[in-house]
Amino acid sequence: MTSSPESDRAAARQAAAPMAAVSRRRFLKTALLGTAGLAVVAGGTFAVLRRSPVDGMPVPDGIRHLSHSEYHLFRRAAEVLLPVAGTPLTALQEVPVVAYIDAMIGMLPAHLRKDVGAGLALFDNAAVVSGWHGRRFVDLDDAAAVAYFDRWSTGNVIQRTMNAVIKQFVYVSYWRDPKTWPPVEFDGPVSDRWGIAYLGNAPLPDESALPQTGAQTVESRP
Amino acid sequence: MSDTADRIDTVEMPREGLAVVQASDISSERLELSADVVIIGSGAGGAVSAYELARRGLDVLVLEAGPYVPSKDFTEDFTESLETLYEDHGGQANTDGDLLVLQGRCVGGSTVVNGCVSFRTPDFIFEEWHRDYGLTDFTPESMAPYFERVERNLSIQENRPHEIARHSMVLSEGARKLGWSVKPFKRNIRECALTGHCLSGCKTERKQSMLVTYLPWAAAHGARIHSDTRVDKVLTENGRAVGVEGRVVDRTGRHVADIRVTAPRVIMAAGAVQTPVILQRSGLGNDQVGRNFACHPSFYVGARYPQPIHPWRGAMLGVYVDEFMHPDKGGFVLEVGGLGIAELCMINEPGTGKPFVEYMQNAPHMAGIVTLIHDHNVGEIRWQGDHKAIHYQLSDKDFPSMMASLKAAVRMHLAAGAEEVFLPSSEALSVTREADIDRQVDKLVNKPQHLRMVSYHPQGSCRMGTDPAHSACDPQGRLRGVEGVYVADASLLPSSLIVNPQVTVYALANYVADRVT
Repeated sequence: MTSSPESDRAAARQAAAPMAAVSRRRFLKTALLGTAGLAVVAGGTFAVLRRSPVDGMPVPDGIRHLSHSEYHLFRRAAEVLLPVAGTPLTALQEVPVVAYIDAMIGMLPAHLRKDVGAGLALFDNAAVVSGWHGRRFVDLDDAAAVAYFDRWSTGNVIQRTMNAVIKQFVYVSYWRDPKTWPPVEFDGPVSDRWGIAYLGNAPLPDESALPQTGAQTVESRP
Repeated sequence: MSDTADRIDTVEMPREGLAVVQASDISSERLELSADVVIIGSGAGGAVSAYELARRGLDVLVLEAGPYVPSKDFTEDFTESLETLYEDHGGQANTDGDLLVLQGRCVGGSTVVNGCVSFRTPDFIFEEWHRDYGLTDFTPESMAPYFERVERNLSIQENRPHEIARHSMVLSEGARKLGWSVKPFKRNIRECALTGHCLSGCKTERKQSMLVTYLPWAAAHGARIHSDTRVDKVLTENGRAVGVEGRVVDRTGRHVADIRVTAPRVIMAAGAVQTPVILQRSGLGNDQVGRNFACHPSFYVGARYPQPIHPWRGAMLGVYVDEFMHPDKGGFVLEVGGLGIAELCMINEPGTGKPFVEYMQNAPHMAGIVTLIHDHNVGEIRWQGDHKAIHYQLSDKDFPSMMASLKAAVRMHLAAGAEEVFLPSSEALSVTREADIDRQVDKLVNKPQHLRMVSYHPQGSCRMGTDPAHSACDPQGRLRGVEGVYVADASLLPSSLIVNPQVTVYALANYVADRVT
């Protein structure tokens, strides 16, 4: 990985900026309770439906901050959001997208981390009832997952927010890696490579050549 | 007080770098300092105030909350720059989360990370200030000497032909086809190296930011500069400022020391978000402190062209369209702006999966236009007890201007030959032909998290005016209700400028510094 803790923190803040809306906790609770309410209507069926084959799959050792379900959500989201196979773009396997996200998530302040976690859980589980997929997001096939994202992009505030947050975490994590730059001819840092000279500080102004503006007299301390 | 001319003859200027006391230099748990003037913030307002007062012989102390990052340490990597050089690591947003408020937070402030665009205050804005706020001292003529001073000091000049990058050339042609007025920007830059990395700081010191101009000049006249120093409160006794207190916090967030400064004059120049927050924490000023916040909510309207553009190459900002600048003609400005790959993947919603991949494959063919509107001062900055809150929603009064600016930007792209223009919304919307502009743009509604907006220009949260009931500061920048506290940053602006505010802030800071007694 090429990123630094500093850039992880910055990217995390940027990607999570839309969470400011979700941070109005009352609204988030309402959304979560709404989903739970639907689950109650569905009765015990919900508990069965929300089981997923990924629940039994491992999480790589290096993942420190994402929960098991969050890891698998982002892994699946990256596959859905970045179908680069067959294009000149850098293969997904060559970029540690979820590892970047893990580092970025670890940089979030506690209150934001909590809200992001709640929003991610909502996004994953709401697929059972939202759109009546009957499965969590992590188990949707590609077409259904794309349709799910698109529906959330035009949904209520919390849906639009989570659509943006998940996409931005995934996109930033992929495109921040310099390995992704050559296929799109992005130059990255250039000053050192081009050998551009430093100019240094500007010289002191010649006050006699400047317009004067009539400063007040002011007393310095004795 | 020393004679000014004598002092200039004797001061010494380092050729590069700046003497700054940083957290790493502090070995005691408590700092007790004194000065004639303590200035909070080292950006456009703080640096100009520091120089103007220091050269007059005052003992000036500048306190900056952010770090000191020498130019040579700039990485030209935007995600890294957000962490080191920007407020809240680039994540500062309004309470709805749909408006990113980007501000510098480092020695030199936003002047280090802006796009160098340099406008004087438009004449009609001065007329508005005169008419609505009683600011009769502010006219284009009365402010001309201030503008001339800063323009000369900062090498402000119009872009030359080689500084008009491909994106700006293409879009200039679009504007000309439509018969719209399009002009090269003026910028504060010497020998632009055309790296396109303005927003990550100018690594080779060509941008004439405060980091390489007014701050070293102030230091040469004896001003002291402390970074990593967060002011918590302005201290007063018997209705007069007596100093400030705060904390020195290093880059890891470790509290290194407490600091107290004794000074009879305090100049607030922390920017339009932090200045009112500090005043509110201090219990100073009237109920106007924090109110009337404006910010130029902006769209970045991106489009795909048949030919390569490489929007990250060349001078970042080349030309602007002023056809609609006057409120009677629409009240918005269109600025042609470049951007890098990280920004490109976040500004538009081209669709999920394959549409996004196709969009990014076309990154070299993208170009963009930034829209700026003359927004009303509907926002409010509040200290909530343990954090700040930026309450700003695009008002229904301003929504038509935003949509008009968007339609104009789309029209300009199409006239320039764009194949597809992406609308800055949460859902995938785009326009490929002029006949569809109204139908597509009119799908946008003014609701939270539907529009993707950025603010580069927070303003107005401690506005000046003659009516104490509607202004936080008097026309000389003095905070109402307490002696010895001045405001010298964009907080002072009574209404939004419509254009990039840095030159106005420089001039106003000089104006206020001249009136410090």
